[in-house]
Amino acid sequence: MASASSLAASLNPATPPDLTARAELREIDASTKWPVIVFLLSGLVWLLVGTCFALISSIKLHTPEFLGDYEWLTFGRARTAHLNAVVYGWSTNVAFAVAFWLMARLSRAQLRHAGLLIIAACFWNLGVTIGIVGILAGDSTSIEWLEIPPYATPLLFVAYALIGVWAVITFRFRKSEHIYVSQWYLLAALFWFPWLYSIAQIMLIFEAARGTVQALVNWWFAHNVLGLWFTPIGLAAAYYFIPKVLGKPIHSYYLSVLGFWSLAIFYNWAGVHHLIGGPVPAWVLSAGIAASLMMVIPVVVTAINHHLTMVGNFSALRYSPTLRFVVFGAVNYTLVSLTGSAMAIRSFNEITHFTHFTVAHAHQGMYAFFTMVMFGAVYYILPRIVLKEWPSAALIRTHFWAAAIGVTLYWLDLSIGGWLQGLEMNNASIAFLDVVRHTVPWLFVRSVAGIIITIGHLAFAVNIGWMLCARPPAGATTPTLFRNPPAMQASAVR
Amino acid sequence: MAWVFYTLAFLVAAGLSGTAVYALYWSSKHGQLRDFDRGAVSIFDDHEPVGQMTDHFPAGRGKRRSSLEAGTAVRPPGSGNSPRVTPS
Repeated sequence: MASASSLAASLNPATPPDLTARAELREIDASTKWPVIVFLLSGLVWLLVGTCFALISSIKLHTPEFLGDYEWLTFGRARTAHLNAVVYGWSTNVAFAVAFWLMARLSRAQLRHAGLLIIAACFWNLGVTIGIVGILAGDSTSIEWLEIPPYATPLLFVAYALIGVWAVITFRFRKSEHIYVSQWYLLAALFWFPWLYSIAQIMLIFEAARGTVQALVNWWFAHNVLGLWFTPIGLAAAYYFIPKVLGKPIHSYYLSVLGFWSLAIFYNWAGVHHLIGGPVPAWVLSAGIAASLMMVIPVVVTAINHHLTMVGNFSALRYSPTLRFVVFGAVNYTLVSLTGSAMAIRSFNEITHFTHFTVAHAHQGMYAFFTMVMFGAVYYILPRIVLKEWPSAALIRTHFWAAAIGVTLYWLDLSIGGWLQGLEMNNASIAFLDVVRHTVPWLFVRSVAGIIITIGHLAFAVNIGWMLCARPPAGATTPTLFRNPPAMQASAVR
Repeated sequence: MAWVFYTLAFLVAAGLSGTAVYALYWSSKHGQLRDFDRGAVSIFDDHEPVGQMTDHFPAGRGKRRSSLEAGTAVRPPGSGNSPRVTPS
């Protein structure tokens, strides 16, 4: 067994890292079981809660009288509750679950003192719950992506301190000789997130900066929480699951290292492109635009790596649920990142700024890329830690197609509608209210896309609940999940 | 009071930048930036080797039952007796 003798030994810098033995994959997976399940189930609840708030706020945009008598469900509160539920509830919880499992597996070390992680999960989810209730009660800070009221954030800090330290400890006691590129991404993200969150809290909430510096800090945070927290976790998962599922090494490991370090250098500067046209120094915007365009380097090398690894193996998508979700996410990472670089160009930004195009872009990043990769990761991880197979292939297919069709419709609809909205807003001969009226059909289609996505989430939730509650079939002592079907053996991995 | 926070913020940012530079130096010194082929295959091992797919849709109920009856439903993950897909 690889667990440390005591908590103090794990925390003591003098403890030699070779104290533990290299663990088997089964032992590693088993050691992550309860923290992963707790974070994942918490995330699942927030996914469903966030989806409800998403539908409510989407419907209100084209049918304003919907639930109009409830002050706690006014658009400003419901939309904000949606954002915080999916960002800090679903996305961050599932990111923790996937990050722990990946870090333990790649470090070839068991997760140590898992009970403390469960306590951290309780703190985190208590903080998010108080935050969302506070937002619905009208206590939002009104700072985008940081709306959770100040009385809830200390709980998040306590939780993160436990979580971050534990990932670093797992890495420290690693028994792998090589640090795989996914570990670089995970470690960096686990350092970057507390930095972003604490600086933003200091400069926007506790000792708020004055004037336009507030806006600069706000967009530095809001953009980087995507690029330096969710993106590295998503890429870490993609870099692990695509080659692992295929049984084929990544196309170019050299490019993956180049992609990591170029993302680390350039991304931090890119957020200020949200303020193009705003009253901030021109050199700051120019630096942000340059960095946004330099982001083409990590995006292209990552795209080459992911997509060329898949070339010749597309038939495997028929057989692997994980691969379907992760490859869909990887393709959308390429698209959303290149669109993001384009949106930083002033002439492009003149049209898309303040339109639904930005909303489409944000959902392509957070859902079509990050969330889809996380779904794929969950389909891979959960059977391995509970030692049961997924009860229904039909529900997995329903989940995939509903999520893929729903988010693609959402993205296309709001991208086109937002672009037309931008062109009309730049035309002084069109009254503003007419521009608003012209967006209504696009907003209606968005609600339809949201309903399709919701069907996928329900299928996902039912499958997870069914899996966790189900008993193994009579006569089976082990899951059959990992046996390759004959059809796959014939066609896989060319 | 603001200057205390801002000094702290600056120190944290400087420390993080320093950590990143040290990480790059460390990875270079410890051979992490050499022998990329070895790095690429480091996620595979004897239990889950190169050439073996490790994920697929669950079988239907009928198929699962017949495979159990035939005695072909086997092994937990990572137990090492996995059927292999032959790479070319």
